[in-house]
Amino acid sequence: MSYVDVNGKQIEVDEDGFICDPDLWNEEIVRCFARLEGVDELTDDHWKVIHYLRGYYRQFGIAPMIRKLCKETGFNLQRIYELFPSGPAKGACKLAGLPKPTGCV
Amino acid sequence: MKSPMRLAKAEDVRAIGLAPAAEEERKPRLLAKLKELRGSMRSLAVMLDTCVKCGNCVRQCHSYLGTGDPLNAPPARADLMRKLYRRHFTLAGRLLGRITGAEDFDAQTLDAWLTYFYQCNECRRCAVFCPLGVDTAEVTIAGRHLLSELGMVPRFMQQVALNLQKTGNNMGIPKPALLDSVEFLQCEMLEETGLAVKIPVDQAGSEILYIPSSADFFTNVDTIIGVAKMFHALGASWTISSAVLEAANFGLLFNDSAMRAHNRRMRQAAEELGAELVLQGECGHGWRAARLCTEAASGPVRFRLMHVLDYTARNLGRLALRRLSMRVALHDPCNYARAGDLIDEPRRILRACVEELVELAPNREETFCCGGGSGILMDEMMEIRLKLGKKKAEQIQAAGRIDYLAAGCSICKAQLPHVAAHYGMPDLAIGGVMDLVGKAMDMNRSTGGV
Ligand code: SF4
Ligand code: SF4
Repeated sequence: MSYVDVNGKQIEVDEDGFICDPDLWNEEIVRCFARLEGVDELTDDHWKVIHYLRGYYRQFGIAPMIRKLCKETGFNLQRIYELFPSGPAKGACKLAGLPKPTGCV
Repeated sequence: MKSPMRLAKAEDVRAIGLAPAAEEERKPRLLAKLKELRGSMRSLAVMLDTCVKCGNCVRQCHSYLGTGDPLNAPPARADLMRKLYRRHFTLAGRLLGRITGAEDFDAQTLDAWLTYFYQCNECRRCAVFCPLGVDTAEVTIAGRHLLSELGMVPRFMQQVALNLQKTGNNMGIPKPALLDSVEFLQCEMLEETGLAVKIPVDQAGSEILYIPSSADFFTNVDTIIGVAKMFHALGASWTISSAVLEAANFGLLFNDSAMRAHNRRMRQAAEELGAELVLQGECGHGWRAARLCTEAASGPVRFRLMHVLDYTARNLGRLALRRLSMRVALHDPCNYARAGDLIDEPRRILRACVEELVELAPNREETFCCGGGSGILMDEMMEIRLKLGKKKAEQIQAAGRIDYLAAGCSICKAQLPHVAAHYGMPDLAIGGVMDLVGKAMDMNRSTGGV
C-alpha cells in the first residue's frame, strides 16, 4: 500500500491512487488528489461533479451511471473530460473518494 | 521481461476462496494440478503433444505481431507449459530430458507463465491457421487456471471475482443502485419515445431471463436501451435478475471453480424466475463460457440458452427499423467468431439498421482481437494493451472514414476507445450492435408496441 501526504496526514491509497477508506474523504484530500491528477484549479464545476458523486456513493455504495452523472450535473461527457482529464471513472471518482470502478470499463 | 501486471495479495486471494501456495509448495502443487488437468481435459494433452513447430501460426498472432516479443509467438508461448509437461509426463522427456524439449520447473517458470499467458488474449486465431488444429488458447487458459491454483491471480481478476461473490456482477452493483439506474433509463426512454418502455427486474414468471453485461449499467447504457426497446416492440415477457447482472464469466479466464460458480448463478436465477429462455447479452467470452460450459458446470438445464444477437436476428421481420444514415464497420469479437457461432447474425442486424455496413479485413473467423480479450483490461497493462491492439487499429484505419464501429462485446467496448485514441482516431464512435437496433427502431410502428 502507498500513502499520500495530505497536510501532514498520511492517507492510504491503493495502487491506482484511489483512497482505501472512503470514509476518510474530505475536501483537503480532494485538493491534494487534484494536484496529482493534473487538475490545476478546482472550480465550482469540479465541486458540482464531486459532490454529486459523493452523494450518490453515500446512498448507493457505487458510482452512478456515466449518463446519469452527465444528466444530473448538466455537463456532457466532453466537459467532464475537460474537468477531469482521466475521465469520469478514473479521474472524477478518484477525487470524490470513491473506490475505483472495475469490470469491463 | 517481467509483466507490469499486479497480482492480488495472499489475503485477497483467500477472500475469493483460493489457497495461495508457499514458495516450496508451488512446484509440487503445480505438477499435481497439471497431472489432474491432463486427465480431465483430454484436449490439453493433445495440444501439448501435437505441435510440430511449423511456424504457420506465428505471424497470425496479433500479440506476437504487436509486441514483437518472440515468447508471444504461439508455439513459444505454449512451450512454456509444454517443456514442463514433457519433462514430467512423457517417457522421452523423463529419460532424455532437454533434447526432447523437456525442461524442469525453475525460478523463472511462474514469472514467464504470468507474463506470457496474460499477453495471450485467448482469441484462438492461431488455431485457425494451424494445420494440426493446435489451439494455444487451450494451453494458456489451462495455464492461467493452474496459476490461480497457486494463488497467483491478477489483482483485477480478484477484484472482479470479489464483486461477483458479493453482488453477482463484475462491477459490484448492489440491487438498490440497479433499481435506481433502471428507473433513470426508463425515464430516458420515456422522454425519447413517449412510451413506457420497461426494464423489468426480478420479475418471476417471465419467459425470458436477459443477462446483460454489468457495464451496460455504467458506460454502455445504449446497449441495454436497445435491448429494452426491442423487447418492448416485440411485446416480450422478459426480466433481468439482480442476482446475475453479468453475462461475463471471468472464471473462464482465470479459474475453473469461479467459472462454474458463475454459471450456476445463471442456472439458479433462471430456475427461480421460471424462465424458459435465457438470453445472453453483449459479452464475448461470457457467451463462450455459457455456450460451451453450461452443461459441465451446471448439469442439464431446463431452459434454452441463446444469444441476444441471434434472438434479434431471428426477430428482425417483426421490428420496424429505419436504416440510419451511417457508415458502420463491424468488429467481429473473437469469441463470437471463433467460439460463439455468431458471424452472420450481427451482419443481418446491421444491414437492417444502417445504410452502409463496412467489412474490416480480415474478418469473420479470421478477425483480429481488440487487444483486451480475456480480461486484459488492467490499467497497469495499458502499454501492452495498446501493442496488442495494433493489428486491430490497422484494420480500422484501412476501412476509411466510418461513423461508428460496432463491437458487440463489453471487453471490446472498454478496450477499443484506448486503441482508437492511441492510433490517431480519437473521435471514432464505438458501441454495441444492440445500441443501433435501439436507435433504428421506429417505436410507434413496431408490432407489439403499446
Ligand atoms: S490465442 Fe490469440 S493471442 Fe493467444 S497465442 Fe493464439 S493468436 Fe496469439
Ligand atoms: S501452426 Fe500449429 S503446429 Fe505449427 S507451430 Fe503453430 S501450433 Fe505448432
